[in-house]
Amino acid sequence: MMVDKKGALAGVRILDLTDERGIYGAKLVADLGAEVIRLEPPDGDPLRKRGPHIDAVTEQESSLWYLFFASNRRFFAVDPESEDGREQIQKLVARADIVLSCPGTFALDAAQLALARQQRPELIVIDTSSFGTKGPWKDFLAPDLIAGALGGFCATTGDVDTSPLKGFGELNFMVSGVYVAIAALASLYHMREKGSGQQVDVSVHECIASCLEHVFMCYWYDDLLATTIPALPRRASLHWSNAYVVMQAIKGSIMITPAPDFDRQLAWLVEVDAFEDLLDEKYADPVNYAATVKRMMEVLRAWVATRDAKELFFEAQSRHAPYGWVLPIEEVAENPQLQARQWWETYSTAGKEISGPGAPYQFSDTPWKMKPAENPETQMQAILADIGWDAEADKETQI
Amino acid sequence: MSRPLEGLRVLDFTHVLAGPFATRVLGDMGADVVKINSADRAVGANDPAHPYYVMWNRNKRALALDLSKEESREICRELCLQADVVIDNFSVGVLDRWGVGFDAISEINTKVIYVQMSGMGDGGPWSEFVTYAPTIHALSGLTHLTGVPGREDIGIGFSYNDHQAGLHGAVAILAAVEARRTTGKGQRVDLSQFEVGANFAGPTLLDYFANGIPARPMANHLPYDVAVPHGCYPCAGATSPAVEDERWVAIACMIETQWDALKGVMGNPDWANATEFSSAKSRVKSVEKLDQQLAQWTQSLTAEDIMNRCQKAGVPAGVVQNAIDLAEHDPQLKDSGFLQQMDPLPGFGMTYADRLPIHFQKTPCEVYERVRQVGEDNREVLKDWLGMQDAEIDKAEAGGLLS
Repeated sequence: MMVDKKGALAGVRILDLTDERGIYGAKLVADLGAEVIRLEPPDGDPLRKRGPHIDAVTEQESSLWYLFFASNRRFFAVDPESEDGREQIQKLVARADIVLSCPGTFALDAAQLALARQQRPELIVIDTSSFGTKGPWKDFLAPDLIAGALGGFCATTGDVDTSPLKGFGELNFMVSGVYVAIAALASLYHMREKGSGQQVDVSVHECIASCLEHVFMCYWYDDLLATTIPALPRRASLHWSNAYVVMQAIKGSIMITPAPDFDRQLAWLVEVDAFEDLLDEKYADPVNYAATVKRMMEVLRAWVATRDAKELFFEAQSRHAPYGWVLPIEEVAENPQLQARQWWETYSTAGKEISGPGAPYQFSDTPWKMKPAENPETQMQAILADIGWDAEADKETQI
Repeated sequence: MSRPLEGLRVLDFTHVLAGPFATRVLGDMGADVVKINSADRAVGANDPAHPYYVMWNRNKRALALDLSKEESREICRELCLQADVVIDNFSVGVLDRWGVGFDAISEINTKVIYVQMSGMGDGGPWSEFVTYAPTIHALSGLTHLTGVPGREDIGIGFSYNDHQAGLHGAVAILAAVEARRTTGKGQRVDLSQFEVGANFAGPTLLDYFANGIPARPMANHLPYDVAVPHGCYPCAGATSPAVEDERWVAIACMIETQWDALKGVMGNPDWANATEFSSAKSRVKSVEKLDQQLAQWTQSLTAEDIMNRCQKAGVPAGVVQNAIDLAEHDPQLKDSGFLQQMDPLPGFGMTYADRLPIHFQKTPCEVYERVRQVGEDNREVLKDWLGMQDAEIDKAEAGGLLS
């Protein structure tokens, strides 16, 4: 008999009061099987307006941004200004293990999280703000671009002839989002062990600054590295080590590196008679390491320009060289590795089924699933039943 | 005060950045992370005296095992039997060859969780491919999309996906630990760094499949939403013409009131009140002209001045901060104590930490221990995890097993 296996977080109840800063964290835990209820105003979550869109009867169903970031949620439309609405929100808080919030988000005041924490010490509240709960920038406004500028992302990205660049899409908030999920699950671990929940604050600014690879390393330890200055400027795709860069090939571009085995790369260049002067003894002397890397990359650039990008990629990988073929999104969508691993999932909205990204990890026993969309009205009624809400009975009680 | 993950035992076979970052986060939160290394493997980014290793391996204990020896593998096996989590980012099959793969260990330690963070995942025609973060950026569309229209590919200027693969690895571990409470069993997690990377283009991939529209690089403009101005602009204050000395500010008017406020900050210049800039949609059509005009204004002031004026008026703006800004001038990071010294590493010098950006009110993560030398914690780890006596450890050391 087939057993319908549950997700890793089955049985964990989470209330999602996040905005862009934390919504990816709510997605991660929802996709792992937690029951995540997202509150929205009666006229719809403002994030449903985020593009891209598909044609749909209502704006509520057209946002593909929302389809991705609000996946696997149960949605509950509520008016926090009404007495019933406030009570419903508080009942939802009362049955939650974890509340994910961001300052100023919808229904936050009505949720009365501080009071709920006093009444239920086991409750976990993860609050994700742009800059933390105190400090001179506490109230600064920071959409993804500003978060990336202040957090250090933009200064590393771009080239000498461009402005600093943000990453495409929501890459900064996807960093804070994944920290939100970590904060929630670490708090859950502690709560299971010790019985107590807690308030947890996540700073988007610090999240971004914690994920900058070489930025602090070069600042702190530049005397031990070949980087020469403590704050490397933007320099296109050239890695801080100088040993990884995107090069132009025939019919495309490709990320080239002689790492991790420079000797093996040199042997390949010798094999194809493209080594130029790289066999000069001076390049074998570790003292000349920086010059060797520089010359190796120059020689590689000239050679790569004569090669077909796709063919070179596959040949490199057959030689265990970590070259990376630069793919546009349509090639990612058709990628044979993703297809072979049956990575794509089916998302449903507006009566349509759409292929979209699958799991970032695969669990052997507790599968990651994309659930089909539920009828919003049915979903609302089910949630009301879950919180024991009987409108008629409540009215009678009040009378 | 205890940290949230105290009591969780993690055996760490990872190297370079993605895997070590996953276990760094767990170690910061109090997990007992034991990093396996050896004298032979401690070269390059795997050398505790390399800055790269110093960055990603704090808050872990170091155990040396010469896994070319059968007796060392037996110690390794005993450690796996005591672990809650075993994590590696070797090529698929390495732990199996050492006799400590999931199938062998989970027969006895049924609660163990194995996480393999390979480049391409276990299975598929590319599963043997070798990758670093720049490889993944290229293959997943991140390099192509992060750039400027009509120009050669640029891509992200640092190993974004390595950090993200590590963070997703930590999520997977903690989710599997939670699942274990209800199933009573551990399990295996197959994390493909390529799949982590492809996931970041989520809405864009949905747009391609639903509408057939292949996204293209947009510089700093939003690909799907109307917000202008939305970019980085040059400022006064450069100390030299060199690119590293340039000063920039980012400004993002997400709604009309923010544009109106920005006009006020600029002193309501005539150009800003022109009809072609009167709505977000019209500003999109004239974005190049608007950006040029705005850049003229920004070049008359310092980035810090513009940021403060804008934020005071409710306009999202921020200095494009480099390492020196972050480490020396950022008042917010100073206020939270985000950067701190750790103890010096013998033979290396002073070490530093960028702290965990998660602030637990009841279980604060305030411990930041420097990276450890290869085998520096052999004795303590073998006593704590395996209950070995000093004499047994002496014998193992004399036999060259712990090196």
